[in-house]
Amino acid sequence: MTWISKSVTGLGLVLLAHACYSAHEHSALHSISTASISSVASHGSSTPAVASLPLDIVIETVVAIFAVCVGLVLGTPDLRPIEWRVWAGKIEREGERGFLTGDGEVEKDYIGNPFKVLEIRPGFVDIRKQRKEFAAWVREGGGTPKK
Amino acid sequence: MLTERELQISPIAQDSVIHNTKVLTTLRGLTASLFGVGAGILGLESYPGFIFYLVFSLLTSALVYAFRVRPTISQDISGQASLKRYFRGSMELWTGGLFDGLSGFVLTWTLFYGLVRA
Repeated sequence: MTWISKSVTGLGLVLLAHACYSAHEHSALHSISTASISSVASHGSSTPAVASLPLDIVIETVVAIFAVCVGLVLGTPDLRPIEWRVWAGKIEREGERGFLTGDGEVEKDYIGNPFKVLEIRPGFVDIRKQRKEFAAWVREGGGTPKK
Repeated sequence: MLTERELQISPIAQDSVIHNTKVLTTLRGLTASLFGVGAGILGLESYPGFIFYLVFSLLTSALVYAFRVRPTISQDISGQASLKRYFRGSMELWTGGLFDGLSGFVLTWTLFYGLVRA
């Protein structure tokens, strides 16, 4: 959940709570007024069919629902590709960086390269390639900083 | 549905399928309760209430498509990607988890209808 999704969701929830309270007050007011009218006119059956919710409450409810929807959708994690070759290519290219949540941390159910156990077996280590990679890394400034 | 042969040629990562389905189902459950609140506040009765739920669920799926599927497709260099990249069929995105959310919808709908109508 990124901060923008949280803020949009919070704003939508505040609007929704306001609309809910307004609707409750409106129906309470309406039922009091119809009760007084019916006691004056002395009819028996008063079924309070409150279909007369004012337009601004309706609009506020719909806008609030839409805002919370957008906020929730923005807070969902990224979808992962289901074709095996696309998914494996993404792991090879981006590693952990391609599977971050909104806070910048790695997702909990990220497995990574499924063949990693095979690739780091001691009898199959490619020592020359690793020496070259290490030399390149040192050349680019990795390792202990020079004083 | 993919045939066995197509699955042998281009296999599917089960891990990703589970993750995508979980994302969709969680979202649907949450938004279903939310739509119930809205229907209760608006005081909708039988058929308009369910139509409200269906319309807004489709709207949510459209939002997911716009925010989660569309941007990555436009980033794809080869330009061949489609909805198939994330879901096995388009029906999965649009109608997945609708009936599971229905019970949450009815729950909050009846609750808020009773609360708001005093």
